[in-house]
Amino acid sequence: MEAGTVSVRRGFVDWFKERWVNDPLFSIFIALLVMVVLQTLVLGFDFNSFGEWFQTWVNNWINILRNNAGIAIVALGMTFVIMTGGIDLSVGATLVATGAFAMTLVDIGERGLFAMIGLTGVPAIIFTILLTMAFGYLLGTLIGATVTKGLVPPFIATLGAMMVFRSVTQHFMQGYNPRVPTEFLQIASFKIGNLMIMPIVYWIIIAAIMYYVSKRTTFGRQIIAVGSNERSARLSGINVDKVKLRVYALMGLLVSIAAIIQVSRVGSMDFAGAGRGMEMDAIAAAVVGGTSMMGGRGFILGTVYGMLIIAVLNNLLNLFGVPPLLRDAFKGLIVIGAVLLQRKKII
Amino acid sequence: MQIEMKNIRKSFGSNDVLKDVSLSFTAGHIHALLGENGAGKSTLMNILGGVIQRDEGAIYKDGDQVEFNKPADSQEAGIAFIHQELNLINDLPVYENMFMGREPKKKFGMLDHEKMIEDTQDLFNRMNIDLDPKAMVSDLDSSYKQIVEICRAMSTNASIIIMDEPTTSLTDSEIERVFDMMKTLRNQGVGLIFISHKLKEVKHICDRYAVLRDGELVSQGDVSEVTTDDLARFMVGHDVRTEPLARSRETGEEVLRVENLTYDQQFKDASFSIKAGEVVGFTGLLGDGRSELFQSIFGANGISSGKIFLKGKEVTIDSTMKAINHGIAYLPRNRKENAIISDMDILENSAVATWPKFSRFGVINREIHREQFIKQRDSLNIKMGKWTENITKLSGGNQQKVVLSKWLNTNPEILILDNPTQGVDVGAKEDIYDIILSLADQKIAVIVLSSEAQEIIRVCDRTLVMYHGAIQGELVGEDMTEHQIMTLATGGDVTIEGEGKSLWKQEQ
Repeated sequence: MEAGTVSVRRGFVDWFKERWVNDPLFSIFIALLVMVVLQTLVLGFDFNSFGEWFQTWVNNWINILRNNAGIAIVALGMTFVIMTGGIDLSVGATLVATGAFAMTLVDIGERGLFAMIGLTGVPAIIFTILLTMAFGYLLGTLIGATVTKGLVPPFIATLGAMMVFRSVTQHFMQGYNPRVPTEFLQIASFKIGNLMIMPIVYWIIIAAIMYYVSKRTTFGRQIIAVGSNERSARLSGINVDKVKLRVYALMGLLVSIAAIIQVSRVGSMDFAGAGRGMEMDAIAAAVVGGTSMMGGRGFILGTVYGMLIIAVLNNLLNLFGVPPLLRDAFKGLIVIGAVLLQRKKII
Repeated sequence: MQIEMKNIRKSFGSNDVLKDVSLSFTAGHIHALLGENGAGKSTLMNILGGVIQRDEGAIYKDGDQVEFNKPADSQEAGIAFIHQELNLINDLPVYENMFMGREPKKKFGMLDHEKMIEDTQDLFNRMNIDLDPKAMVSDLDSSYKQIVEICRAMSTNASIIIMDEPTTSLTDSEIERVFDMMKTLRNQGVGLIFISHKLKEVKHICDRYAVLRDGELVSQGDVSEVTTDDLARFMVGHDVRTEPLARSRETGEEVLRVENLTYDQQFKDASFSIKAGEVVGFTGLLGDGRSELFQSIFGANGISSGKIFLKGKEVTIDSTMKAINHGIAYLPRNRKENAIISDMDILENSAVATWPKFSRFGVINREIHREQFIKQRDSLNIKMGKWTENITKLSGGNQQKVVLSKWLNTNPEILILDNPTQGVDVGAKEDIYDIILSLADQKIAVIVLSSEAQEIIRVCDRTLVMYHGAIQGELVGEDMTEHQIMTLATGGDVTIEGEGKSLWKQEQ
């Protein structure tokens, strides 16, 4: 009887060790579980009934997820960019650029572009969405072309783009307050069974698509090949430039989706402040999720875990009443800690 | 100095890499350490170099037991380890590399450049090396880089120097330079441990040999008492063939014709034609431009003038993708840098070139890739565990076969193999030769680029020898001798006795 227990325990320990070493996402998943347990404990059990507790617990989670959906979507694109060995610092600026673009189109005031040509209601909203996504894709393509055709290092190309996009947006939107129609707000605030979870739904759908793309498609696998060994990839018939170009274009597209979600959640955007630091949060989520800054190694699922860990952490810090200025310190430690966790011994 | 390793055992998990190996190395001799990939050579040397620790056994230096817990311990004992991947910093001059980590300082911690240059020059003079200490390492060719590494080891007063496959990326003349240096060192009483797959080199330069097979010492003794065939037999455990394998076979239509192909300074005015089912060699010394020439034909380099014809039709190939679609496959040299994708598993490394071909709407058909891979694995005799294992877990020969399987998946009509047996052990080498010949039987035009004349002679029907970017001459069948190849490769002209005419007019 006792021996049996020991061997079962030994079996579990071995399994755990084996997973810990061989499954790159295992340690990060355990970390996420710990965060979830902590979050649950902090919420407490001081409720009248289980139903009430559960209600609060769910609401708390919906809040966390919804608040982070935009940045989570950006982090997915960032994962691809980093997997090719690149980086995109311009996502925050692209966010305000595409956000401003969407608001200018859909504005029901006198400067609204669609309003001017008499396009209103649902068609205006649909066109706004499509054109904004196209615009995001175009901005991303511009960056990708600078990197591939212009041979400008991604860090520099996107640093420059960051300044250009935000500055131009701020200049053109100076003193202009577009009025976003209430129908547009439905994109984010449409309720499913009394729950405002649309941003979460977008996140899940996009994450699922990105996961499939990274695992099963030519494009997804070529990203890894390019990031791992560019020379080998090119000598294997892969059009390295095309892969990179599409990765940055996809990044722009995803940022524009995040912008649409953000605008539709609040109906306005602070062009000077919105998206500042977004690139760092997105990079952090990817890195915590096991993506290597050297390229060639990255996990969409890992980025989802990473984002959740950072989001829960923010929430915990909030609940614990940690002074706001000190919160980034914890975030920073989590990023470094996660990489330490995943560090594998060589040889 | 004498280093003795006694009863060394080492295992990684359940894999016994060294099973009770006892060996000794003495100063003033060149010791060859031989064995196929995975025989345990690197592990043994890593133990001697303090890189990894043994499980059992002991190491003695001049009779006293020593412990090498870290590389610094081993260095202190007078052992220097020159790894296969050189540890030089390209962007620094030679003299700074020589003193890396132990730079002489002046007042205020300033580097004493004059002293470093002077000392380096002294050492070079002593070794008879004609090299400017102020040259940038990035400007040196591979042999000089190797020499700088050896000199660095010398300047630490090493009495035993371990050289892990120092000649793999060198051409014949460069090898000669390194060998001269090794002889000088031996004469000065330094002991050298020379790890190599090239048995002729071992025969040429080494005094003593030791052969490892599957973690056991199978043979050791004086090199003068054995032949290269003996050594090869010790390594693989059975007889090894050396006779030319190429046989007469029916060749088909011309598949590739190149006319006056030129690119910058890399190669000039190259013209040749190759038929289906032929095995054609291209050889020469470093800087002959053969790799560059075929990379251009494969769309990975560039072309400034000249024409390429496939089956008589002129084509422009400006990307590797286009080349593949035209039925050209190119297995590059330097597998690790150019062919392997180390973040991917075995199956994916075999599939990377055919993702677009076997996919629908961008979604990869994994079923076809698996079927293809099973077929290739069996026909190429790839020895491996699960295909989900990382490619780097395979031995060099099996890695090369996986890369080859990638190209066979594309169904090529023209297969270009650039140094196909680089870093591959004797057994896998034979396999690759057999594969080349059976592919030729299937009417694939096979082009073998190699700097090893013997290899060319063994598998090729004819060979074109290049010199400084130009095709210097052609040798067919029995005219392919090492001597003739070397004459052409060094810029000479070959005349065939009896006919008394030049086979190929000299360029320029």
